[in-house]
Amino acid sequence: MGKKGDQYEVFVEMGRDTNGEMDAKIKKKKKVKKKEMLEGMKKEMEIDDHELTIEELEMKYSTSTTKGMSSTLAAQVLERDGANELKPPKGTPEYVKFARQLAGGLQCLMWVAAVICFIAFGIQFAQEDLTSYDNLYLAITLIAVVVVTGCFGYYQEFKSTNIIASFKNLVPQKATVFRDGQKSQINANQLVVGDLVEIKGGDRVPADVRIITAQGCKVDNSSLTGESEPQSKGPECTHENPLETRNIAFFSTTCLEGIATGIIINTGDRTIIGRIASLASGVGNEKTPIAIEIEHFVDIIAGLAIFFGATFFVVAMVIGYQFLKAMIFFMAIVVAYVPEGLLATVTVCLSLTAKRLAKKNCVVKNLEAVETLGSTSVICSDKTGTLTQNRMTVSHLWFDNHIHSADTTEDQSGQSFDQSSETWRALGRVAGLCNRAVFKPGQEEIPIPKREVIGDASETALLKFTELTIGNVIDYRGRFKKICEVPFNSTNKFQLSIHELEDPLDLRYLLVMKGAPERILERCSTIMIKGQELPLDEQWKEAFQTAYMDLGSLGERVLGFCHIFMNEKEYPRGYNFDTDEMNFPTSGLCFAGLISMIDPPRATVPDAVMKCRTAGIRVIMVTGDHPITAKAIAANVGIISEGSETVEDIATRLRIPVEQVNRGDARACVINGGQLKDMTSDELDDALRAHPEMVFARTSPQQKLIIVESCQRLGSIVAVTGDGVNDSPALKKADIGIAMGIAGSDAAKNAADMILLDDNFASIVTGVEQGRLIFDNLKKSIAYTLTKNIPELTPYLIYITVSVPLPLGCITILFIELATDIFPSVSLAYEKAESDIMHLKPRNPKRDRLVNEALAVYSYFQIGAIQSFAGFTDYFTAMAQEGWLPLLCVGLRSQWENPHNQEVQDSYGQEWTYSQRLYQEYTCYTVFFVSIEICQISDVLIRKTRRLSVFQQGFFRNKVLVTAIVFQLLLGNFLCYCPGMPNIFNFMPIRVQWWFVPVPFGILIFVYDEIRKLGVRRHPGSWWDKELYY
Amino acid sequence: MAALKEKRTCAQRCEDFGYFVWNPDTKQLLGRTLDKWVYISLYYVAFYIVMSGLFVLALYVLLSTLSPYTPTYRDRLQSPGVVMRPNTYGDEGLLIVYEVNKPDSYTPLIHTLQNYLTPYNRTEQHAHYENEHCNGNKYFTQNEPKDPEQKLLSCPFYRSSLGKCSGMDNSTFGYPDGQPCIIIKMNRVSMDLPPLVNVYFLFFKQKGEPKNLHNIEYFPPNGTFDLHYFPYYGKIAQPSYMNPLVAVKFNSLEKNKLLKIECRVVADKISADNIHDPYEGKVEFEIEIKNGTAVNK
Repeated sequence: MGKKGDQYEVFVEMGRDTNGEMDAKIKKKKKVKKKEMLEGMKKEMEIDDHELTIEELEMKYSTSTTKGMSSTLAAQVLERDGANELKPPKGTPEYVKFARQLAGGLQCLMWVAAVICFIAFGIQFAQEDLTSYDNLYLAITLIAVVVVTGCFGYYQEFKSTNIIASFKNLVPQKATVFRDGQKSQINANQLVVGDLVEIKGGDRVPADVRIITAQGCKVDNSSLTGESEPQSKGPECTHENPLETRNIAFFSTTCLEGIATGIIINTGDRTIIGRIASLASGVGNEKTPIAIEIEHFVDIIAGLAIFFGATFFVVAMVIGYQFLKAMIFFMAIVVAYVPEGLLATVTVCLSLTAKRLAKKNCVVKNLEAVETLGSTSVICSDKTGTLTQNRMTVSHLWFDNHIHSADTTEDQSGQSFDQSSETWRALGRVAGLCNRAVFKPGQEEIPIPKREVIGDASETALLKFTELTIGNVIDYRGRFKKICEVPFNSTNKFQLSIHELEDPLDLRYLLVMKGAPERILERCSTIMIKGQELPLDEQWKEAFQTAYMDLGSLGERVLGFCHIFMNEKEYPRGYNFDTDEMNFPTSGLCFAGLISMIDPPRATVPDAVMKCRTAGIRVIMVTGDHPITAKAIAANVGIISEGSETVEDIATRLRIPVEQVNRGDARACVINGGQLKDMTSDELDDALRAHPEMVFARTSPQQKLIIVESCQRLGSIVAVTGDGVNDSPALKKADIGIAMGIAGSDAAKNAADMILLDDNFASIVTGVEQGRLIFDNLKKSIAYTLTKNIPELTPYLIYITVSVPLPLGCITILFIELATDIFPSVSLAYEKAESDIMHLKPRNPKRDRLVNEALAVYSYFQIGAIQSFAGFTDYFTAMAQEGWLPLLCVGLRSQWENPHNQEVQDSYGQEWTYSQRLYQEYTCYTVFFVSIEICQISDVLIRKTRRLSVFQQGFFRNKVLVTAIVFQLLLGNFLCYCPGMPNIFNFMPIRVQWWFVPVPFGILIFVYDEIRKLGVRRHPGSWWDKELYY
Repeated sequence: MAALKEKRTCAQRCEDFGYFVWNPDTKQLLGRTLDKWVYISLYYVAFYIVMSGLFVLALYVLLSTLSPYTPTYRDRLQSPGVVMRPNTYGDEGLLIVYEVNKPDSYTPLIHTLQNYLTPYNRTEQHAHYENEHCNGNKYFTQNEPKDPEQKLLSCPFYRSSLGKCSGMDNSTFGYPDGQPCIIIKMNRVSMDLPPLVNVYFLFFKQKGEPKNLHNIEYFPPNGTFDLHYFPYYGKIAQPSYMNPLVAVKFNSLEKNKLLKIECRVVADKISADNIHDPYEGKVEFEIEIKNGTAVNK
């Protein structure tokens, strides 16, 4: 890190004056905008306001540090700069969103088919050759299908956007501002550059503010940088980097305590946070893996449909059909081949899973993201708030020469330490008394760890800790009346207070002190061990050092505690303690112990990380916090597993320089932002490859983005979790961004695809499981849906080539696709996993496709073929039993379809009118339909599993599937036997026995697939497995 | 996912495809090695042979259950269709238009009738002999044959029974006189027909109420089909079966006017009311006879 080397490289415009120019530039180069943005981010930020003197500032912003701006000027500036608020990212217009739903690959194909239908209808109409309105109906149905599916998709999208909108209802914030020398409260969005504002503990910083005066002001920067420690702010410029300097407070951070005044230097989108937010919106949304999969296979389907259509168009022309007829064939083949219901099925399956996830507190914004989690191979997790509780908590105590662990679980379910020691009573007393933090009133009902506290993070932690261990601290403090206190300051680094004792007869005063451990130790001459005061000799000092180091290496913040009972003779009642003079002992004290604090991991996290590991998912920690803390938490939650060492650890263990360590030996690696800045992307890739366990600390938002990109370059599907604004670019860049619902900022929620309502990392594991399950189940659904395309297609092919009367009409096909088969294919989404999917590696997005060759070939050319044979058997049965023997059917087409021939002879010499033949054709449609239905029942049963036997999976375990089959049969019966159907939808009431003709074929499908699965199970890796397992 | 959506040039894509077609490293052709192709092909050949076998077996079983003489069901043939000659079609259906003094306009119609009646010549039907059943007006029931060689008898229908419309005396069928003949046939279906099968004509004056036509002649008289032509035992059992016919001569049709005429077959079990089938139990046609004077007007 150079002098100007910063962990934070935030792209900030070059200065106010060039603002317009920049905008113009951005507009000009909109096409290369993203690249520009990302490159631009690497530029140093050029805020110089922190280096200006107060006079210069007053000049620059025409303001006054005493009176504030004039109202008129403020109004002008407001006019110029706009309101002080983050503009929501520009949404896509609604009609574009809707249009997008109508213009997918399959939809386009269906549009083409519909247009052909219209043309055919138009020509027939013009030629007054209108035998039926089928073409018109078909065109309307096709358009309806596209529009309805589009509406459905649009509705889903709309609904998820609404969830986000509901998060957004921001309460207008107030800010205290000086204008014309008057102090007033105005809405924060009315603030302008140059305004003099006052910030108090508990306020949100209303804009980027240059501090003019401050008293004990501390700001929580975690939403910006991810650091959990509060930063103190003051008027002096301490660093050249505006992000490091103490005299600038940033928009949207929270002032924890103290009071400060300052001049606003940036508002709205020009603030640092606004920059990051716009950076996030500049990062393009990645296509989800499932979208890529669906696109992949829609391309194949569309290609094949056009190929088949075109081939048979040519064949038909060669055979000698009219052009119009051939066009109608083309259209019919497209209709038969395109799985119209598939899009609806996929959408419904995904939304079912989304619903299931929502019950488990994962709200999915983008439906397709449901599956992405399942394919995820890397999770880049933010630390603060995601892995940890985002709450400083006492974790360890050192007294009686032992390190005791405190209970850090959120619900206080953990083990507590032994509290019987006298030393603990002394330590607890110091911790309770030497503490200025208090609970906010009215929180008696809330469990102690969740209560809100006024005070800084470590005092809060101590307050809660003592409240939990000792009992009512406020009461306790009341019993030890406080005489005086010296607050913490950075020069003496301690805090002390003097109290009367609880026992009214004991007239001694008690002095309690806490502070930086080494400073406290310096002031002690004795140490309390098991209630005894022992002289503090070298041996004890050594013990102290060891404990201090140990706790420090855990990434914990350590405080030392000591006390002294002051002699009642020297300091009698009414003694005038002077905190400036320090007319009381501040050395020779009795050391009570150490207490260390950390933002502890959430209880569920280690288990969840473990589960991710077994599921082959790599968890990488990316945080803005310090490397030591990050590493400690990583080790704590299992991101760095037990026994894994970093290069530095090996070096220390072997006592050799870091350079001599073989990098390959180190499983773990901690990289901080400074190192990362100097790495090329190749080096980063190498590091990611070399070390399976990675922690990135002190990273800036841009670096998070770089890490995500690097993982993606390595072929991983990356999930990013985060809550802060600083995470939002990475959330957006990730294949799936997961934001925290409670702690998460709006920017993070906006950028994310999924929101964990309970902020629980463990929910991600549920998500992964559901995602994997839905991928498997979608595969089954698609296999089921694709199968029937062949028995829908073959009738046309046979019709064109062999000229039999048409066995299956287009409208009937649409009924199969969109009515009877939808429910069963959706019901497969309810299928339980076949094996423990959480013990498998994530799928390889390049190899494990949703629809692979084996699936398509097996569905089309084996199961689909059997279904076709079943259909034709039933077709010929119905024809033969009504008088048309199979051989007569061949070549019959031209006579059969001639509307002017009323006396076509069947095999028995009977003569048929055109309408009689037409109704016989409808009978064939119905019979073919019934055959496909029966075979599809068998098909849905075999699709329950891909590897296991259906009997192992449980025949009736999926109740939805059973219901779906019953529904399918009922619907089929309704279509067949409802009066009026023949003339509306071309369904005929068929003879009951024709329902049973395809049953043997259904059984054949079932048995054949069981044999296939048996072979796949018995001989994994064999030829059979490779060719027939999908 | 970066790997999946890398922008690749066309050349790279072509190269990839080339590798897919023939991968020299693994010796794979279209994704499979040659022996794998042989295996999978053999598997599919076997699969389709078995499936075709099953299909043929299914058809064989099906055919063996069928009677060669009568169809198993007559679901679509509840009522027989009715057809007529001449059968020229206009835009909306049967249409007969001719001009009395232009022989060219009606010669094709006469030819149709002549050709249609040729099989009904006595010489054509000499092989069938009349028997006693063919005289009375009652059903000619026979037992179904035991074997395909055995043929059943059928009654002949001679064109002479069509009288003036037989085309034997007057080969013009009355067309030049403006008194055309048409011939009505009922489609044969294998079913028992009801006791009386009668043909009668309704006359539609465009969209008005139907009213009966006057001054028409039926041949055979009363326009009935004799019962001894029924039942029909099918093509195999009764190869020599001839459909009985009814001819109608319109003696006083209004000239120069398009008339819509419906001809119904009337019998107890024959329905002529199926709105979806204009030829079931009835036949509708339009006729316009133009005479020269009207044309010259």
